[in-house]
Amino acid sequence: MLKKLGYFLLLGVSLTVTAGCANRATGTLTAGVDLGKLKTFYVVQAPDDKRNTYQLIKENLEKRGFGATTGPELKPPYQSDAVVTYADKWMWDITMYMLELTIIFRDPKTDFPLATGNSLHASLTRKPPADMVDEVLTNIFNAKPAK
Amino acid sequence: MRQRDGSPEDATLISKLLILFLCVSALMVAGCCTTATHEGMTPTTFETGAKNQKTVGVDVGGGKELDELGRTRISNEEFKKALLAAITKSGTFSRTVEGKEGDYLLSVMIFSMEQPVFGLSFTVKMEAGWTLKRVATGETVWQESIKSEHTATTGDAFIGATRLRLATEGAGRKNISQGLAKISKLSL
Repeated sequence: MLKKLGYFLLLGVSLTVTAGCANRATGTLTAGVDLGKLKTFYVVQAPDDKRNTYQLIKENLEKRGFGATTGPELKPPYQSDAVVTYADKWMWDITMYMLELTIIFRDPKTDFPLATGNSLHASLTRKPPADMVDEVLTNIFNAKPAK
Repeated sequence: MRQRDGSPEDATLISKLLILFLCVSALMVAGCCTTATHEGMTPTTFETGAKNQKTVGVDVGGGKELDELGRTRISNEEFKKALLAAITKSGTFSRTVEGKEGDYLLSVMIFSMEQPVFGLSFTVKMEAGWTLKRVATGETVWQESIKSEHTATTGDAFIGATRLRLATEGAGRKNISQGLAKISKLSL
């Protein structure tokens, strides 16, 4: 019995060591883009968003002093300075948590990405969704042009 | 009749089988530790239009070999090799050159990769920003965001790591294929 418990403990420790505390936070800006010119954003609500991530993004942008609206995906051109799309990935470990969040700012006319940010926090370094959103948006606004 | 249920031998056997099951399950559902290869990302067929007599240099950014969870990603080097091979095979340009030595510079920025962590069917979604500039003037002649996705199933590969690599390579391959198809329709 003890041996069996030992195997499970070893497996658990291995999984924790290899994946449990992984984290990443990145931001990339397309060459020639000046984010300082952006004042209004349209956050496209992902069809499969059941946890209102779009709302957190909108609120965070408003907190930063920008104008932000949300709604479904529309046919370009959008009536805002940039369009915001996102992809969130959730995992379960005792409770559900946001594992990864990618946010992309897009040109309202062409849909071409202007800037992108990504954060990944595995179980041991998990953050509340609002903090994940804040981290990704901070990464985007601090991003350097891609090389 | 001899009653064997609950004997120490059974418990040992059950625990060994359980560990074996866990290991096989982990191998099947989890993906990690292999990099997408240029061979796997080079399209074999092309939907290209007119062949162009101009030369092109290629620049790729935004890629990486593995992510923090050890999942397969697309490195800049492997994607560039696949793109160069595809340009040569398809005849989209007459030849490829280093850096800004050609008539055009094609820049591809990998903006996002959506990959599963666990599962039986792995669908990888990729988005890359393609920009084609005329080197002499610096003018952007074409710019478009290209989205692609590919699903690999247990029929493609039993081991999760291999399945994730195949799905990632498939997404990269389709992205290259779509990008070159669009470029071949431009009047350069």
